[in-house]
Amino acid sequence: MNKDTDLKKLIRRTYLVFFQDGLWDIFLGLFIIGWGLSILTDLAYLVGGWFICFYFIIWGIKRWLTYPRIGYVKLGDREKKIRMGISIVLGIMVLVGIAFAIAFITDERPQWIADYFPLIFSGLLALLVGGITWSFGIYRFLFYAALIFIAGVVQQWTEIEWAYSYIGAGVVIILLGIIILIHFIQKYPKMPQEQLDELS
Amino acid sequence: MSSLDENRVRKPTKLINRIIHEPARYLIVAYLYVVESADALYLQRQTGLTWGNLSSHLSKLESVGYVQIIKEFLDKKPHTMLQLTKDGRKAFEEYRENMKQVLNKLPQV
Repeated sequence: MNKDTDLKKLIRRTYLVFFQDGLWDIFLGLFIIGWGLSILTDLAYLVGGWFICFYFIIWGIKRWLTYPRIGYVKLGDREKKIRMGISIVLGIMVLVGIAFAIAFITDERPQWIADYFPLIFSGLLALLVGGITWSFGIYRFLFYAALIFIAGVVQQWTEIEWAYSYIGAGVVIILLGIIILIHFIQKYPKMPQEQLDELS
Repeated sequence: MSSLDENRVRKPTKLINRIIHEPARYLIVAYLYVVESADALYLQRQTGLTWGNLSSHLSKLESVGYVQIIKEFLDKKPHTMLQLTKDGRKAFEEYRENMKQVLNKLPQV
């Protein structure tokens, strides 16, 4: 009981609820693959579109798959403010990333951006993924952040086409996300409607 | 010394809220304390209580005015959410404070 009564742990558990279905892992993996594919097809400017598209798809799936299994919760004011702050940081970093991408595909880029673009981009993305999820206590995303950074390092100092290193990292993240999703579905079967109605 | 302080010294256990002191109810209130609101399924999954247990404890908490039921719509379907009332929040905070005091007063063995 002592373990359960620590309020900070309860708050962390509440955050974990949002991540325990593996869908955000799959979202991240799809985004990384989308980024890799857009480089491969010279459509890097579409990356923002990928992001928004996957985001809404994942939310749709969550409503259909996750909430009927683990219920619905609304965070408190303090947590809402934290999420708002994180969303602002996320938005700024996405804009910085897009600015870097635009600088990379146009001729008016500084030389250092061109030279170290894979490393800079991977570093920013890894910081973003690692920082946000670490603040929520979702530590498996630190591994994903490391994978994303390694994809940039591999591209920076090897001859491998850099789109492939991102696609590889994305595939690994998606596979892990699918494993977590399967485990989640097995652990939390859908509650029969009659039982739900009893308490409604 | 005020009568409240005297009570704290003489009969500290009198200050312990027995509604919240019950472990399952404490868990329910604690989970609701850290969020704005949650539905019964969320509470059931988090606390590990059976439906029957959860239902009876929620009824008890509702009857003393610590928990309120909010009817709302989720995806155009009616959905029942549970929320701690102001009294419930206050009672939980007081309970934690009182428990700390009671435990601190225990002699070291």
